[in-house]
Amino acid sequence: MLFALGDYGFGALVGIVTTLAVRLLVEPGMDMVVAMLLGMAAGMVLHLILGFLAAPLLGMFQTMIPAAFIGMYGGMLFGMRDSMNAGSTTLGAAVLVGAAFGVLVVLALKVYDAALRGVAFDAGR
Amino acid sequence: MDDVATRRKWDDASRTMDFFDFADDRRLGPPRQRLFAKARGTTLMVGAGTGNDFKFFPPGLFVVAIDISPKMLERAALKTPQHAGTITLYEMDVCNLDFADGSFETVITACTFCSVPRPAAGLRELHRVLKPGGRLLMFEHVRSRIGPIGVLLDLMTPLSQRFGPALNRDTVGNVRTAGFRVTRVENVYLDIIKTIEAEREDPPQR
Repeated sequence: MLFALGDYGFGALVGIVTTLAVRLLVEPGMDMVVAMLLGMAAGMVLHLILGFLAAPLLGMFQTMIPAAFIGMYGGMLFGMRDSMNAGSTTLGAAVLVGAAFGVLVVLALKVYDAALRGVAFDAGR
Repeated sequence: MDDVATRRKWDDASRTMDFFDFADDRRLGPPRQRLFAKARGTTLMVGAGTGNDFKFFPPGLFVVAIDISPKMLERAALKTPQHAGTITLYEMDVCNLDFADGSFETVITACTFCSVPRPAAGLRELHRVLKPGGRLLMFEHVRSRIGPIGVLLDLMTPLSQRFGPALNRDTVGNVRTAGFRVTRVENVYLDIIKTIEAEREDPPQR
């Protein structure tokens, strides 16, 4: 239970930190391709740092996989949004969307994990 | 990467290895314990690391544990009392095992073949030292077949393997290529962390 709460909290944190970094790096009107690549790179670096800090408490893979997904793919999406100035005009709104994105990714991975977990192949069956 | 570079990398990693054990033991300990409970007879553990897996071995098991890193083995030696059986440690490269053919009834690995530079060569050595009918029990992380997650693991591997393991190995495929018969594969986390059970088949009877 505590690990599950930690997973969601950590996902929200990665979403928020990625949002803030992208907001700092990407100006409205910036070339969208550049903004998306910048967002992805920022997310990539940040997820490694945050993942390394959280891994002792939550587990190596349970932090690395969601964090990479949120940081890299989220970074691209946030970069696209901020370059177009499309929605989440206030920082508070952007942070909320970032946190929600992080929580949603963790939830999706948990659902996927539950579906995949168990015997994948058994020669005796 | 040559053996000296591999040894140095894992000597360096030995200092931080136990740092990550708290959560991994709790979240991934039970499947490891269930897998290792299937070990029988004289058992070879490849990649002893800092000895974190010793506590998951079934009582009474006779284990020969190897690692390429002397620093890892120094730490592992302190954890041998956690196993209610016998553990003997050797510094050895899995690609060049100093054991006779058919020496072991079971081989155990735990997050080892993400780190062996030549996994196919290492697995062929394990095939050689296992008795016919002997079992290979692996707890490993592999490349995901889920498209976007597989891509993430590919992207992270050039960085991760500078300090630690590769994240995109096809270990199940490598086990088959080395001549083993894979008997069971179980997903532990997504399709990334798996238990893999395989056996060395008896030679055909004439």
